[in-house]
Amino acid sequence: MLTQSKILIKLELCNLYGWNVLRFSRDKKARKKSLGILAVGLFVLAILMCYVGGLSYGLCSLGLSEVVPAYLITISGMLIFVFGMLKAGSVVFRKEGHDILCALPLSRGVVPISRLCRMYVENLLMTLAVLLPGIGIYAWNVRPAAAFYWMSFLGIWSIPLIPMAAAILIGTLITGISSRMRHKSLVATGLSIFFVLVILYGSFRLSAMEGEMDSQMWKNLSMWIMGLLEKVYPPAVWLGTAMTQGDLSKGMLCIGFSVAVFAGVAAGTALCFEKICRNLFGSYAKHDYRMGELKANSMVVSLCKREFQRYFSSSIYVTNTIIGPIMGCVLCGGLLVTGTESLEKVLPFPVEIESLIPFVIAGVFCMMATTATSISMEGKNWWIVKSLPLTVKNILDAKILMNLLLLLPFYLLSELFLIFALKPGVGELFWQMLLPAVLILFSSVYGITVNLYVPVMEWDNEVRIVKQSASALAGGMGGFLLAVLCAIGVCVVPPMYAVFLKAGMCLAVFSVTVLLYRHNNHYDICGKI
Amino acid sequence: MLKIEHVTKHYKGSSKGISDLSLHIAPGDLYAFIGHNGAGKTTTLKCVAGIQDFDAGTIQIGGVDIRKDPLECKKQFAYIPDNPDLYEYLTGIQYLNFIADIFGVPARDREERIKEYGDAFEITASLGDLISTYSHGMKQKLVLISALVHQPKLLILDEPFVGLDPKATVILKDLMRSICAGGGAIFFSTHVLDVAEKLCNKVAIIRNGVLVASGDMEDVVNQGRSLEAIFMEVLEHADTE
Repeated sequence: MLTQSKILIKLELCNLYGWNVLRFSRDKKARKKSLGILAVGLFVLAILMCYVGGLSYGLCSLGLSEVVPAYLITISGMLIFVFGMLKAGSVVFRKEGHDILCALPLSRGVVPISRLCRMYVENLLMTLAVLLPGIGIYAWNVRPAAAFYWMSFLGIWSIPLIPMAAAILIGTLITGISSRMRHKSLVATGLSIFFVLVILYGSFRLSAMEGEMDSQMWKNLSMWIMGLLEKVYPPAVWLGTAMTQGDLSKGMLCIGFSVAVFAGVAAGTALCFEKICRNLFGSYAKHDYRMGELKANSMVVSLCKREFQRYFSSSIYVTNTIIGPIMGCVLCGGLLVTGTESLEKVLPFPVEIESLIPFVIAGVFCMMATTATSISMEGKNWWIVKSLPLTVKNILDAKILMNLLLLLPFYLLSELFLIFALKPGVGELFWQMLLPAVLILFSSVYGITVNLYVPVMEWDNEVRIVKQSASALAGGMGGFLLAVLCAIGVCVVPPMYAVFLKAGMCLAVFSVTVLLYRHNNHYDICGKI
Repeated sequence: MLKIEHVTKHYKGSSKGISDLSLHIAPGDLYAFIGHNGAGKTTTLKCVAGIQDFDAGTIQIGGVDIRKDPLECKKQFAYIPDNPDLYEYLTGIQYLNFIADIFGVPARDREERIKEYGDAFEITASLGDLISTYSHGMKQKLVLISALVHQPKLLILDEPFVGLDPKATVILKDLMRSICAGGGAIFFSTHVLDVAEKLCNKVAIIRNGVLVASGDMEDVVNQGRSLEAIFMEVLEHADTE
């Protein structure tokens, strides 16, 4: 079993982040793409490391050095849990290669274990990216004893285990429940969204429980932070304390607990792996169709309908892109219930909430445009639209239209909530509706542009496209970043000039959108994709 | 119907591709395109179907240049790839309806044609099921129906017999004959030389991207030798050159 596990783990890891393609492909285009993906990955890693480094430096400067390790362990744990939960099901129970592996004389549990190992390696790399800069800055500031280094070395390997176990547990639960249903994808999507909302609600409740900080808390800020971290994720505090105080017993407790939890979840996953796969990949064919009347649709309607069918067929695609609009509605609904005063208190600087809210709405709505990955999601089916009598404009319009129609009900609901919450005048209402609309339109078109330039048409798992592709990152975040920039602009400019700035923004963003749209429609999809 | 003139396509960093390939396919032609694995058959068919660009030469369909007016060209033909990767999230009937919508086939006509071809290929009962539940052969039948539903003048087929059961193979051969008898044209690649010899009036042999023989089947297959023997002889002759 050990030998088999080694072979499969090697197979799982050999093409991690497209490494194998980069090593062996003679196709310069494929190599360029792999290099591009690797470069984007390294860039993100560098940003994360800079952010964590800055954060650690800030904490050390405030005299809060001792909370640095626990704080960073919590951050890496949260990242692993949130990203892992949404992709665990599709990584562990992925269909690609399943039939071939099933036909091989492999011991039970070898396949899921190899996939869990792949997840572990990915998560460990992320943990190292978060922890190493912070530990370096801590060590440079505090000059700790040798115990800090060997405790860090011992403990760092165990950090991804608990968040991974939790993510796998929820991922397996979602996949297991949905595998018993006929409409597997829809059920999986609903459950994923439900769990994300539960997590969001939990984090809000936690902040509310903490209440406002009083002067006593400021005096002992480090204890207050450790107390908060202990509530959120106790093993982070155990290991953090073990590292900073050389407390071996707490370190061993954290490592032992992490290994035990992960082993339990891994064993459970391995046990139910085959049953879930059987249900998941089993076909459900009624074989009783009778020809009836068929309805003819226009080309646009037919293309758009197909885009929606594609979208709702992938639970990870839906979950990843619908959370933003849902959050937008929840936020506006929350404003209606609590009023604007509570939000103004939370913000670190004084600002008129009415002028900021259109950008907040635009930001959450543009967080992950479906268009940013819609071309890559065509994958092996791309030949179909390419061989049909369709212009590039026809194909891309359907993708943009789908994104806009998907967001429309959420947008209208959010605006309705805002009308009742803020009671804006005609002028304010105009900007409140126009600014998010213009930014959403931009993010839809910009997503297409990015995906045209960095498409990935050869993939074996949708996770690769929706979560790990350069277009998902660069295309999905474009609208969000622009909304943030616009919001900063409105906050900085004196109120009397704000209206001119907003008008200028709308005009500029709309003009860029039109330029990008025209550029996209002349893209040579046959020659370049 | 289809004119391929001096078409060259090379992949960067690879020796594969096609060089200076010229072929003329007239209405009524049933044209077989044969060659070894990696010879350039699929590349040629993809260039003709307008889903892959080429480096030099021209391709005209019904007198229209595919580079200048791809839309007009694509309205005239149907293309079937060697591996029918279809939208697995659609049912068979949804896929056929989608294709019919794109080609603007009236509702009544599409109903009649889908029923006719669906019954002929014995797939009608499965049209309500998701394509993900289909076998390779069923997908091949579905993609064939989708190609026939808009009655194209030209069919470009890449290995159309792979995965089909014997009955479906016979039906497809009959359909191919009747389409060409009605003035249509079919350009298809195959490894089944017996079928090509019996079915087609024209044949082209490609080796390492270069056309080594083409023309009427009767002219290529002469002196009582089979297409198989000619094919082997042509390849060996090319090897010694």
